[in-house]
Amino acid sequence: MTRREAIAACHEVTVSYGSGSASVVALADVDLTIGRGESIALWGPSGSGKTTLLHVLGGLVSPTLGTVSWKGELLSSLDARARTRARARGIAYIFQSANLLPHFTAFENVAFAVDVSEAADRNRDPEELLSLVGLTAKLDALPAELSGGEAQRVAIARALGQRPELLLCDEPTGHLDSDTGERVLNLIDALHDELGFAFVTATHDADVAARFDRTLELSDGHVVDEQTAQW
Amino acid sequence: MVTAARLAAAGLARAPGKTLVRVLVLAASVALLGGMLLFVGNSLRTMSGSAVRGVPLDWQGPVGSFAQDKRVAADVARQPGVLQASPVATAPFAGAAHSAGGAITNAGKGSLLAVPPSYLDHIGTFRFLQGGFKRGGVVLDQQMAATLKARIGDKVALTPRAGAPPQRYAVSGVALVTAPDQLFQPLDPQLGPAPAQPPANVAIVDVATFAKRYAPALRTIAPANPGANVQPGAQNGVQWQVQAQLDPGPLSHGSPRAALKRADQTRNRVERSLPGQVQFVDNLSDELNTAAGDALYAETLYIMLALPGALVALGLAYLAALGTVDRDRRDISLLRARGAARRDLLALAWAESLAIGVVAGLLGAGVGLAAVELLVSGGAQLTVARALLTVGVCVLVATAGALAARLAASWSSLRGTVAEGRRKTQRERKPLWQRLYLDLIALGLSGLIYWLTARTGFSAVVNPDSNPTLSLSVYMFFAPALLWIGATLLLVRLRGSALAWVARRAAGGRATTMRGFMAVSAGRRGDAINRGLVIVALLLAFGVNLGIFSATYDQQARIDAQLTIGADVVATAPPGIVTKQDLPGKIASVSGVKSTTALDHSYAYVGPDLQDTYGVDPATFTKATSLRDSYFLGGTAKQIMSRLASTRDGILISKETITDFSLRPGDLLKLRVLDQRSGRFHVVPFHVAGVVQEFPSAPKDSFMVANLSYLQAADHSAGPNVVFAKTGGHASAVARRVTTATRADGTRVQSIDQQTAKTVSSITTVDLTGISHIEEAFVILLTAGAMALFVALAILERRQEFATMASLGAPLGRIGAFVWSEAGIVLGAGVVLAAGLGWLLSKMLVAMLTHVFDPPPDGLAVPWGFLAGLGGAALVATALATALATRRLRSLPLGEVLREQ
Repeated sequence: MTRREAIAACHEVTVSYGSGSASVVALADVDLTIGRGESIALWGPSGSGKTTLLHVLGGLVSPTLGTVSWKGELLSSLDARARTRARARGIAYIFQSANLLPHFTAFENVAFAVDVSEAADRNRDPEELLSLVGLTAKLDALPAELSGGEAQRVAIARALGQRPELLLCDEPTGHLDSDTGERVLNLIDALHDELGFAFVTATHDADVAARFDRTLELSDGHVVDEQTAQW
Repeated sequence: MVTAARLAAAGLARAPGKTLVRVLVLAASVALLGGMLLFVGNSLRTMSGSAVRGVPLDWQGPVGSFAQDKRVAADVARQPGVLQASPVATAPFAGAAHSAGGAITNAGKGSLLAVPPSYLDHIGTFRFLQGGFKRGGVVLDQQMAATLKARIGDKVALTPRAGAPPQRYAVSGVALVTAPDQLFQPLDPQLGPAPAQPPANVAIVDVATFAKRYAPALRTIAPANPGANVQPGAQNGVQWQVQAQLDPGPLSHGSPRAALKRADQTRNRVERSLPGQVQFVDNLSDELNTAAGDALYAETLYIMLALPGALVALGLAYLAALGTVDRDRRDISLLRARGAARRDLLALAWAESLAIGVVAGLLGAGVGLAAVELLVSGGAQLTVARALLTVGVCVLVATAGALAARLAASWSSLRGTVAEGRRKTQRERKPLWQRLYLDLIALGLSGLIYWLTARTGFSAVVNPDSNPTLSLSVYMFFAPALLWIGATLLLVRLRGSALAWVARRAAGGRATTMRGFMAVSAGRRGDAINRGLVIVALLLAFGVNLGIFSATYDQQARIDAQLTIGADVVATAPPGIVTKQDLPGKIASVSGVKSTTALDHSYAYVGPDLQDTYGVDPATFTKATSLRDSYFLGGTAKQIMSRLASTRDGILISKETITDFSLRPGDLLKLRVLDQRSGRFHVVPFHVAGVVQEFPSAPKDSFMVANLSYLQAADHSAGPNVVFAKTGGHASAVARRVTTATRADGTRVQSIDQQTAKTVSSITTVDLTGISHIEEAFVILLTAGAMALFVALAILERRQEFATMASLGAPLGRIGAFVWSEAGIVLGAGVVLAAGLGWLLSKMLVAMLTHVFDPPPDGLAVPWGFLAGLGGAALVATALATALATRRLRSLPLGEVLREQ
């Protein structure tokens, strides 16, 4: 296997909430390096720390201990404003429930992401991105008027609008039926192949995890296993 | 219920921030109500006290003889509630004379008052300027003393009736008779009080001496047949009477209505206990009756001005409850899913609202009390009963407000299915009032009532006699009330659809820029923005209405006060003193006095009507007081006054006289003028120079204004007896200095400030200053609070949206722009709506009360300072809240918020 250039990494990351006897450890001593264009599945049951690790990688949550880096920059030492800026330069999220901006249409959700993006190639047409995910007919629909699958495809188009180098997906098919989920995953796979971004997905579905280059198994905040796909 | 209480306590303790906001918002809302209650209670009590204390002589009961007078007075004095009862008599005298150094000085006819030595203990119809009572002596009114040039120790002769031998008395004192119109009024208990033309000369003697020496010279007026005495100024015999004064304490504790009831009950009890012996002419009840009318007017005004503010303030509680509506809805649905019945949930809401209501009510009552203590002169003068009532009402309203806000915010969860309650997006049905178009109906009715009021004059009216009592129709207040209701409902109905339309235009199609994103976001959040807009616009409208109406009211009250007393400062002096001591010049040299003028106030007959007559100097008059064009008919104030100045024998007369005597300007008018030298009326020719409706210090009905020089030549008076002064600053301070400067001249000085505070007419009775200060302070705080709440609510409602934006890499500045742009829209639109609605409401209220204002206002007075303060406070609160919100966004726990479902 060719060794890829590391784009993001976390080193001995521990995240805990609360203090004293009420303290909950969400992640414990996690090490992870993500290569450019690599696809990684974070697999484990609910509460194992998958989402927390995704949030740490994108700078949404600061680790209690350890370091997180993004393109060589120590994300964990930056303030909120700088972390936001770092995300604008190539980190995109797709959430379990799409998290579309409720007062923007599908078009405007994508356009907003394009507008705030500071990626080098940011001049992407929202309409084109939405046609890429097959939603040309729903440009002016508000999130409340979209089905779950459509909302998730808008979220994908929105993520693409950010021109990501690292796409972080949190159970992207968790709220979808199996057929729709399959179509969404195929779409992300195709885009990943075409655009070459690094791709980390949290999932509790072993079949979904099997589609990725690497799978990290998490349990109670610890990485308990790591498997690399043999293509 | 115990379980509900426990659950409620646990729920409130689990979310201390939310509980604190709800308590504070409700406390602020009910504090306004508490402050109002305390103010109104205090105000009504002050009105009662002022009315009771303002009556120098409460009861006058005519009796048939001195013996009966003494016996009945003693019986009345023993009655509970009666402070003093004295045997008194009044009688006429045909003339008086004083000889000194071989010269005899005469005075015309007058009236004699006979009182016991202890008379002045509690009755205040006169006060001594010099000397005092002495058995067998006489006390002269200062005017009579000046006319006779008599001093203490001199002997004066009083002639009881023409042809009777004069009686000589030694002068033992000089007094100022302050209530001659009541003392010498005809006494007919069936007719009630009929204040009479005060006699020109008054002397006071001891009642025992009077009974022995003077009374036998005249016939006695029988109490059962007062007809001989009903014509004011026509007393021709001895009027024995019991004069009594009630204990003012118990009468001053409640409203004028309660005081009136108590005073009537006391009089009935006293009359019943002395059957057939005495019936009283009740001056006190007459005054309290007027005060009760004024109190009704005051209460109505207070309600009209304050109630909308209190109700809108409660809307804030609803706004606060909306902050957690989604969470509450889901909690309710969860409890229902676990088996809680609707009844249990209602009990929980009750228990929670009661806990919040008690704390908020106590806090609100405390804040209301503090506001009244700080902002109202004289403070709250709290009694235990009033305190308990205020706390009770505050707790009750706070509890009801908390419950209503809670139920209104989560009603759909209680009514709908559990599954519906757990949904994020709720399906809503138009409420009944919207389907019935009650908002448009209310607005239409408001306009109709206003139109009918304006068209038919169906408005507040002041009785045309000199006693300014008010007749109010409650219906006329429906117009502004319905305007409030209709405008509020219409704003709620619009639900931001107008805003959405504007936003669509501003965005210009699909948004791709920050400006466009803000526009479409605001447009689609019309409902949420509209909630804030309704509260803020109504609070601001309340402030604008209150400010404009109060300013107009104050302006008119001041004009009315000036019209009543004549000028900023007025000095009344004994005859001859004004000219002799050059009072105009002396007063003009007092610091703060800008200019002065002297005028003569006397009386003259037009046909059979005795009218007040004013001799003025047109050259100086307008420099010392203000004349408005509306005071005159047929020309401006300047034109009419210069016409008077150019006509030596010119006279301005009232419209009523013009009509009654078919007169026209230029006509000859022969008046019977009192010749001060002879004490007799003689005919003097005048020419009508104009028509006057109002004039400084003149009564409201008929009066005349002539040139001072011509009038003086006709009545041979010793010169003017009044000086008007215009001040450049605080009239009351100038009045004190004028009093000091002219004390030796025996002047009585009044200021416009004292007059404004006096119970004289309806408009000056109701002092809006206190309630205006309270409401202005609250409206500023509440508007600032509403803006802060709106911003906080926007952050709370949109935290997941903002966290998502942050996850996309949107800078905090851009996220914050969504908050401040909406706050700006609410504030901007609120100011525009409030300016329109507030102005309209003020216009309506002032128009409806036009007849109360005397003279009617030329236009609305706009308190720019207060309005700027109100707008500034809202702006500062918005800026502060937005800045704090942006800071809060920086520390938003993104990971945690993005996990929320």
